[in-house]
Amino acid sequence: MTLDNIASMKYFAPELILSIGILAILTVDLIVGKPDRKRSSLLAMSTLVLALLATLVTSDGVSRGLFGGLIARDPFTDFFKLLFIATTAFVGVAALRSRDTIEYQPGEYQDKESGEFYALTLTAAIGMMLMAAATDLLMAFLSLELVSILSYILAGFKRRDRKSSEASLKYVIYGGVASGVMLYGMSLLYGLAGSTSLSAIHAIKDPPLLTLIAAITLCFAGFGYKIASVPFHMWCPDVYEGAPTPVTAFLSVGPKAAGFALLIRFFHGAIPADVRSVPLILGLIAAATMTLGNLAAINQTNIKRLLAYSSIAHAGYILLGLVAGNDDGQRAILLYLVTYLFMNLGAFLVVMAMSDAGLGEELSEYRGLGKRAAFPALVMAICLFSLTGLPPFAGFFGKFYLFAALLSRGGTFNTALALIGILNSAVSLYYYARILRAMYFEKPTNEAPILEASLHRWNMGIMAAVTMGLWLAWTPLVDFAGASIVQWYPHATQVASLH
Amino acid sequence: MNRLPILFVLAAIPLWGATAAADPAKPHLVVTPTTLDFPIEGGPAQVVLENRGGIPLNIHAIRLVEGTDFSVATQARALAPGEKLPVTITYNKSKLRNQAFGGLQILTNDESYPVAPHQPNDHIAGVALRANSSCLLSLMVFIPLLGMLLVLLVPKGREDLVKWVALSIAAVPTVLAVYLYAKFDPNVSMQSGNYGLQFIQHSVWIPSFNVEFYFGVDGLSVSMLILTALVSLVAVGASWGITKQVRGYFAMFLLLEAGMMGVFCALDFFLFYIFWEVMLLPMYFLIGIWGGPRKEYAAIKFFLYTLAGSVLMLLVLIALYYNSAETTLVSGQPAAHTFDLMKLSYLNSRLFASPSLTLLGFDFAKICWIGLFIGFAIKIPMFPFHTWLPDAHVEAPTAISVILAGVLLKMGTYGILRINFGILPEATQWAGTAMAVFGTINILYGAFCAFAQKDLKKLVAYSSVSHMGYCLVGMAAFTQTGFNGAMMQMFNHGTITSMLFILVGVLYDRAHTREIDKFGGMATQMPKYAAFFGFAFMASLGLPGLSGFIGEALVFLGAFPVYRIITILAATGVIFTAAYHLWALQRIQLGKWNEIWTDKSIFPDLTLRETLTLVPMAAIVLLLGFYPMPMLTLINNGMNDLLQHVTGHAAAGALALVP
Amino acid sequence: MTAVLSVGLNHFLVLSALLFAIGLLTVATRRNAVAILMGVELILNAAALNFVAFSNYVEGAVGGQVFAVFIIVMAAAEAAIALAIVLAIFRHFRTIDSNETATLNN
Repeated sequence: MTLDNIASMKYFAPELILSIGILAILTVDLIVGKPDRKRSSLLAMSTLVLALLATLVTSDGVSRGLFGGLIARDPFTDFFKLLFIATTAFVGVAALRSRDTIEYQPGEYQDKESGEFYALTLTAAIGMMLMAAATDLLMAFLSLELVSILSYILAGFKRRDRKSSEASLKYVIYGGVASGVMLYGMSLLYGLAGSTSLSAIHAIKDPPLLTLIAAITLCFAGFGYKIASVPFHMWCPDVYEGAPTPVTAFLSVGPKAAGFALLIRFFHGAIPADVRSVPLILGLIAAATMTLGNLAAINQTNIKRLLAYSSIAHAGYILLGLVAGNDDGQRAILLYLVTYLFMNLGAFLVVMAMSDAGLGEELSEYRGLGKRAAFPALVMAICLFSLTGLPPFAGFFGKFYLFAALLSRGGTFNTALALIGILNSAVSLYYYARILRAMYFEKPTNEAPILEASLHRWNMGIMAAVTMGLWLAWTPLVDFAGASIVQWYPHATQVASLH
Repeated sequence: MNRLPILFVLAAIPLWGATAAADPAKPHLVVTPTTLDFPIEGGPAQVVLENRGGIPLNIHAIRLVEGTDFSVATQARALAPGEKLPVTITYNKSKLRNQAFGGLQILTNDESYPVAPHQPNDHIAGVALRANSSCLLSLMVFIPLLGMLLVLLVPKGREDLVKWVALSIAAVPTVLAVYLYAKFDPNVSMQSGNYGLQFIQHSVWIPSFNVEFYFGVDGLSVSMLILTALVSLVAVGASWGITKQVRGYFAMFLLLEAGMMGVFCALDFFLFYIFWEVMLLPMYFLIGIWGGPRKEYAAIKFFLYTLAGSVLMLLVLIALYYNSAETTLVSGQPAAHTFDLMKLSYLNSRLFASPSLTLLGFDFAKICWIGLFIGFAIKIPMFPFHTWLPDAHVEAPTAISVILAGVLLKMGTYGILRINFGILPEATQWAGTAMAVFGTINILYGAFCAFAQKDLKKLVAYSSVSHMGYCLVGMAAFTQTGFNGAMMQMFNHGTITSMLFILVGVLYDRAHTREIDKFGGMATQMPKYAAFFGFAFMASLGLPGLSGFIGEALVFLGAFPVYRIITILAATGVIFTAAYHLWALQRIQLGKWNEIWTDKSIFPDLTLRETLTLVPMAAIVLLLGFYPMPMLTLINNGMNDLLQHVTGHAAAGALALVP
Repeated sequence: MTAVLSVGLNHFLVLSALLFAIGLLTVATRRNAVAILMGVELILNAAALNFVAFSNYVEGAVGGQVFAVFIIVMAAAEAAIALAIVLAIFRHFRTIDSNETATLNN
């Protein structure tokens, strides 16, 4: 059912709460005394908690169109809302203590821009939620742009740091072009369908195939840029390296998941049913992304750049779920995004904690971390093993479901893709092990122990605990993911296999 | 501020509950309990079905699956909201087997339960029935895991305590292994039911992917379990000299032991794979942190090689899963596919071999066989996938080399027997000759390489490569003698090679070098050591009277009728094996004392601890050399069943030592 | 009198395709950061033109004009941010040449 503007407000509550929160943070920062990082973060966290409660209260499993069909509120959006709230919360907590999010000269007041940081991340959260909910081309474009623009600003947040500004410039140029190309593709789709709503595009009769494929490919330029897949990945290493580490952590998980949400909606809800070559193209892109990400990461010496290339590779793995195209594939994507949230954030949190404690970002600086900072090194080891896909960590289960979804479809192409994916997993061990080797096997250049902030320690501990123990709660999570895709696959919730 | 993350996590917990909303307009069946244990003598037990929904619940049928030892007498009927129905199930103890597992199926119209793939109207709730389920194997696997936590909890500064804790923890599986040996019934075979398994523990683990928790032991794995327990205990003894990061070392060690035990117990492919992978992580750290000069290189080489093989195994695992026929879980619930190794072997193998099934364009069974075989061949290690072994062995600390050569190498051949031979017997027949050829190449290549070594540890490493070749030849022979020989060789090599590596470690601890040329006439200074050294080397080269001979002899006896030339070549390998062993022995122990060592006091004879690590293995080697029946009776039925499965016919007589 | 050439949908589509191509070319070849941003604007306007053209010539398609207004707003916002970033770059590098500002590549 589709609701009009007034009736939609109830279901739009989470985003409304976030908007009020953003305004509150900015206003309080302006009016009440000196800007205070703790106060801004408290406001931000309370807003997120309220938004979480609003999401849980207003979710009832029914799919609704809001605002005349522009966005949707269904279990799929609820899943992603929770994901984004979690991402923003963990990054927000980390930013509280991180030196990277503040910008001050000696003598200046140091929390001067903390309110802006929290306001920007919350706005990005709204943008991501809208991306997951968009059922109209206009909304897709606007929300994508919202998230992009905020990402440009966040990437350049440390204005006095040369690398940060350069990362921001590269990002804005690349992102601008990608959105422009996507917009052009959307305009062609609009022309073919006569309306901007995704369901109208799905219902296109007898499309001229070349135009349709061209339009979809151009649209994919925008989505592919957001998820950093080949050939639109080139901004990723530079931006991840230059941006402040909390922002990198945020970017590596949030917008990527939002991009996938939009991609799933687009490919399941928008592509007309008789276009067969799409899985083939997606498969080739996925294979190229995985391979390039993994091979390029092997030679990296900067840990943030290495993790950036690993992010690119993971986007490739997740694309495999889209290639599978059945309910198993979709469920696998959702599950993998959850595991990816925790393991990737965990890795970046360790980098953040270490750089706060004075360590650089080069791999050589991480030598001997096993002795100097035992707990962060342990968290990093757990997250890296999970990223490789070793049992019993969460990453293994995520990858298993992805490959199983692909193989359950059968066929030579899918099996070959699964083989490529699996071999890439093995290759990825090589560069993850380089970090492990530096941390555990090599002697440190400086023997002094490093003490990380206790807030960071709690944060890292949660990430590691979830990564190690997610298999305990695996079945409820699978059910939850299945419940989130009922609108496309009504039987996906049944426990025990139908596959 | 520091509490904020926790508060947030706690606030997020309700989301799990968001999915389970009770709907008053639907029937809702609740079964209590979902697992029923029966006394061993037989008898009744009860399950209560209750309708907690808002409308009447229809129960179409209450029936049993897979358990002729159980019987149920209650009639199916409809239940009003709130009504309860007790169902009585009786276990009629069978004379043939002393463990029984079954499933009770309750067919209803409650849609929250899964349907069978071809019967969309029957939603099936299941109750797992079990009589005399054994937890012995779980203890053997999870006590080392518990031990790992204990070791980590030892307060800093009490490193000596860590070693004793680890020793006592490692002793527990050994005691359980002795118990296992005593209580293992060698007369159990396929005819006894339960697929010839004993000490079974079987329950559902991940219903959404039909993964079960399935532990059991038969003739194939019992010797390996005993070997693992023994070798681990001995290796703890050999680890006494570790001084840096002792806690981490023993924690990783116990994790490794848990993984190894799990691999040999697991009878569900997914569970097997998890334990297989769990082994890689501790090995990487054990070699990489406590190893020799090139430890990082050796560690990553080992990890990458083995991981590449394992991921191939994962692919085949998933492919086999999706091509298996529909069946039920142990609780009776329907399963469209299964990971159960026994079901895959005995109910699905013909399905996999059907010529219409293809993968990537090739015969499904053959390409799956090759994929699995590569994964296991890397572990054996089989030429040409063996290059990780010399590096890993040389750089690893003594105890880890012991574990690596004593147990880890056997996992490759065990995997081939359990999985390749079990699930894909037709493809196994097709690949038999190739296996025999590769085995012979292993024997000869390993022997030649060992000849050329200057480093004693590398020599022993290559001798391991060579000895595993005998297992391959025996397995490829498809005769009962060959199979028994391969299995015996696996066990015996494990015990012998443990001794060898400990001996090398003893020498290295004193001299800090392993170069053979640097030694000479050691027997004059360390007579006890020389005695054990000679004993171990004689066992390794296959001197009759010691257990090494038994395995090799049975393999040759079993393989000769089938592969004449290959067996002849393999037998000549014995000559080269003897050559390099005797040469090394002579160079090190006999002859004149090497003048490099001016100070003889750095070579004290064996300490009590070192002797204690050597004696148990030496005793077993001697005993089995003269009287192999204790081990042979244990494995015979299991190997016979496997042979029958692969070739389609059994061997004549109970213990046909002569084919 | 010469016949008046009627302007149909195709003319608009070709025009917007040309604008798109020119915009893409500008982005690819120019080194000045502001010039690259001008190229991005061209691309966005090409798409906007497409939307308006389809809205006019396709039966029942009204949303295109709304979309075009949104595009204009979006382009303005993006240009504002982008120019602020260019300003920050200038403070660091004293130039806005994209070759000079590429220090992160390795």
